[in-house]
Amino acid sequence: MENNKELLHSKIELILKEAEALGASQTQTTITLTNRALTRLANSIIDQNVVERHALVRVVVYFGQKSGSVEFEVFEDHEIKQAVEQAASLARISPENKDFKSLPTPKQYSSSFDKKSMICETTHNTTPEKRAEFAKLAIDTAHSVDSRVKAVAGYVQNTTKEKIVANSLGIDAYEIQTTSDAEFTVLAKDDKEETAGWATDARRDVNQLKVEEIARIAAEKAASGFGMKYLDPGEYEVILEPAATAGLTFFTGLIGFGARRYQEYMSFLRDRIGEQLFSENLSLWDNPLEQRLVGASLFDDEGVPHQRVDLIDNGVVKNLVYDTLTATIDGVESTGNHAKWWGPAEPIPRHIIVGEGTSSVDEMVSETKKGVLVTHFHYMNPVNPTEGVLTALTRDGAWYVENGEVKYPLHTIRFTDGVLRFFKEIDMIGRYPDFLALPPIGMVPAMKLPSFRFSGSSKE
Amino acid sequence: MRDLTDYALDTCRELGASYADIRIVTIKDEDISIKLGNISVMELRKEIGFGIRCLADGGLGFAGSYDPTKDEIHRVAELAVQIAKASGSTRQKPVELVDIKTETGSYSTPIKKDPFKVPTEQKVAELVEVDKGLREHNPEIIKFTKADYRGHMEDKIFSSTEGAYITQNIVFCGGGFSCMAISPGSPPQIRSYPGSFRGDFSTSGYEFFESKKLIENVEHIAEEAIALTKAKQCPTEKTTLLLDGHQLMLQIHESCGHPTELDRVLGTEAAFAGTSFMTVDLLNSLKYGSEHVTMTSDSTIPGGLGTFGFDDEGVKAKRIDLVKDGLFVGYQSSRETAALVGLAESSGAMRADSPQKLPLVRMVNINLEPSGWIRNDIIEDTKCGILMSTNKSWSIDDKRLNFQFGTEIAWEIVDGEVGQMFKNPTYTGITPEFWGSMDASSKDDWRIWGTPNCGKGQPPQVMYVGHGCGTARFHNVRVGIMEGK
Repeated sequence: MENNKELLHSKIELILKEAEALGASQTQTTITLTNRALTRLANSIIDQNVVERHALVRVVVYFGQKSGSVEFEVFEDHEIKQAVEQAASLARISPENKDFKSLPTPKQYSSSFDKKSMICETTHNTTPEKRAEFAKLAIDTAHSVDSRVKAVAGYVQNTTKEKIVANSLGIDAYEIQTTSDAEFTVLAKDDKEETAGWATDARRDVNQLKVEEIARIAAEKAASGFGMKYLDPGEYEVILEPAATAGLTFFTGLIGFGARRYQEYMSFLRDRIGEQLFSENLSLWDNPLEQRLVGASLFDDEGVPHQRVDLIDNGVVKNLVYDTLTATIDGVESTGNHAKWWGPAEPIPRHIIVGEGTSSVDEMVSETKKGVLVTHFHYMNPVNPTEGVLTALTRDGAWYVENGEVKYPLHTIRFTDGVLRFFKEIDMIGRYPDFLALPPIGMVPAMKLPSFRFSGSSKE
Repeated sequence: MRDLTDYALDTCRELGASYADIRIVTIKDEDISIKLGNISVMELRKEIGFGIRCLADGGLGFAGSYDPTKDEIHRVAELAVQIAKASGSTRQKPVELVDIKTETGSYSTPIKKDPFKVPTEQKVAELVEVDKGLREHNPEIIKFTKADYRGHMEDKIFSSTEGAYITQNIVFCGGGFSCMAISPGSPPQIRSYPGSFRGDFSTSGYEFFESKKLIENVEHIAEEAIALTKAKQCPTEKTTLLLDGHQLMLQIHESCGHPTELDRVLGTEAAFAGTSFMTVDLLNSLKYGSEHVTMTSDSTIPGGLGTFGFDDEGVKAKRIDLVKDGLFVGYQSSRETAALVGLAESSGAMRADSPQKLPLVRMVNINLEPSGWIRNDIIEDTKCGILMSTNKSWSIDDKRLNFQFGTEIAWEIVDGEVGQMFKNPTYTGITPEFWGSMDASSKDDWRIWGTPNCGKGQPPQVMYVGHGCGTARFHNVRVGIMEGK
């Protein structure tokens, strides 16, 4: 597959040379080329169909401990030179960051990482007609499951991303990646109720997307959602399907294990590293080098090599994730977790893997006396991040389980509970799911927890 | 630029499009953040690009690029038409758009001081002083501080095959500060001004940022943060709840703004943001709130983040009622969604966050109209209740019924007076019951708040929207939701 590696190299050489000529003490630059195509479904038709092409140049210029950064959607040399000049102008008038010592220096990238496997030419060349074909397959499959299926919504997407990260200390990192993913929500309706089901899959090769399977699962969930009852708030056992577990582990990583939030007193794990805070059954790590992940990757947004970082080992809090600045503050090495979002960058685990168990969801149900089976959660947010308290609502299917049997579907219910409480005990852990996901979701199995606090419903 | 927009539209027409429009947009953003005395963000962002939207064979297609040159416009126009035709293949009915008056005007945000002409050094100096004031207030207890500024400018050209040609210059800016107090025996407590999550914003010049008087508010906000570490936990009970501006605006946003977006009502957000309990069959019959509740969608009001001359379909800014005296009477809509439910016109709510994104139905300024009370009179009229201020946490279900919010601070109200402070306040409710219990909202502290972080769509878009409100009172509300410690 053709790539723009040489062109990108010429651009970063230009940037570094320009910054040096302007007197910069250090410079970091990232160029990202993105082609994204997304076909969106709603009401069992293609509702939106879009294609984007981006060229994003990011330059951070340092004069000692002063810095200025620009992020421009430009690609011509004269525009890039202007961007460097503006970054330098900002840096000259910037206050100092006394915590900044240096940009990262080059380190060896994983030699066993199979870079070629990250690219699929078929995915790159996916046409609108191909995505429409998938859309029709999902629509036809879902409607064939049950006559009460009313609407299929969701999307089919393919993305090609090339990224180069370089700095004036010699870091020079390049990777190209293709991904495709699909997600479907199926709505079903009779004369009394409307129900919903959901499923998703992601692959590097668009032809391996399990479109028919996930459309069928979403439709079957919707079809089995009729006869909903309300659940009184309180503590119940809970069976979390993989996507539900993944929502909880993502927020656990985000608000607990990032060094920036820890240093800013926002982490619920402040001063608790090394303690046994979670169930002995829980081991959780961040590993972007895991090649089974669709979003596997060699380096972070500073060009620092990715690595496996153990976060929880048999219930014991082991490590935070760092980027260069936060590592400097704590006197440790970056773990390769720098993530540039909107606003300040921060280190976060974006490829979380939970140690798998051996139980199936059916076995979890059979071991439940009074509990709730959850497909996934909607609109999760921290209520009190410094104490690890989260809230969210069930979505696209939740069922009441009693004495080892699924009894009836439930109307939407809200939980409000703390990570340190609900992950304190874990009864059972499942195997990795058949379907894959894009970052920030890694490989997360189903779980059964003995106690989970539901605080409200769509009735109260 | 006219030659480029004409070329794009002609190309679409030649390829079989029955309708096409193009937006060529330049966006500039300046971000500055000072944290614990250090520069945290000193950044300029610039995005240039275009997006072509067209109808062909009954389907809608959209494609965009960062490179507004003739060759690239031709490539993208071809792609947009190809996509429209592929989209049409799954439809039983072709996409239709309600008619609009073809506009050829221009609009610029009225500003006194161009935020991008105010020296960056001046902005940095104010933030440094604010941050220093917070740190030095009580270094033993105030352990984390930050001060933020953001300026934003968009130059937009919109042209369509119907003859529209519109130019706009939209400017907004704002900022704020936060500090965290840590005291033995208490979890950390955060306080922010004038709002949390980077402050408050307005479509105005730099004079808006100056009017917030950040430095003058450092002392009392830092004192409140310290006091919170010694405050009692918010009680768990059903009580009378007063919400002031920064929390009330998010309540409006989540429980009236989103559920009255007609695209999600019609199912186009079913897979992501969700749907709505405010379905079409309930229009003009649903009792959304008490007779004191009137909500409007208004893109004409000065200073709101949803204030502009024209939306991204070329519809002129307007004000409409969403809820009138408690009755649900209107939707935020687009030309396509309006046609689907038989509305005569779009509400003018189509907005995209960048040139390469498809415009969606987005909030403009969704306002709770004041019911005539004075804020202090509402407090004096309250025998027993809790006043909550400054949003800290939010969550609402996919139909926008069950919500739960947390705020930074609360005070007990006893016999018409503000009493002791509570920490970690939370409340929950069901949208129509909650608004049905509102019996007062104030006019003296009524103003437009701005939030630049509203997420919606796939691919995701982040839009800047406004909410006008004062202080409002609600009855029989569950507060102090159980904590999962």
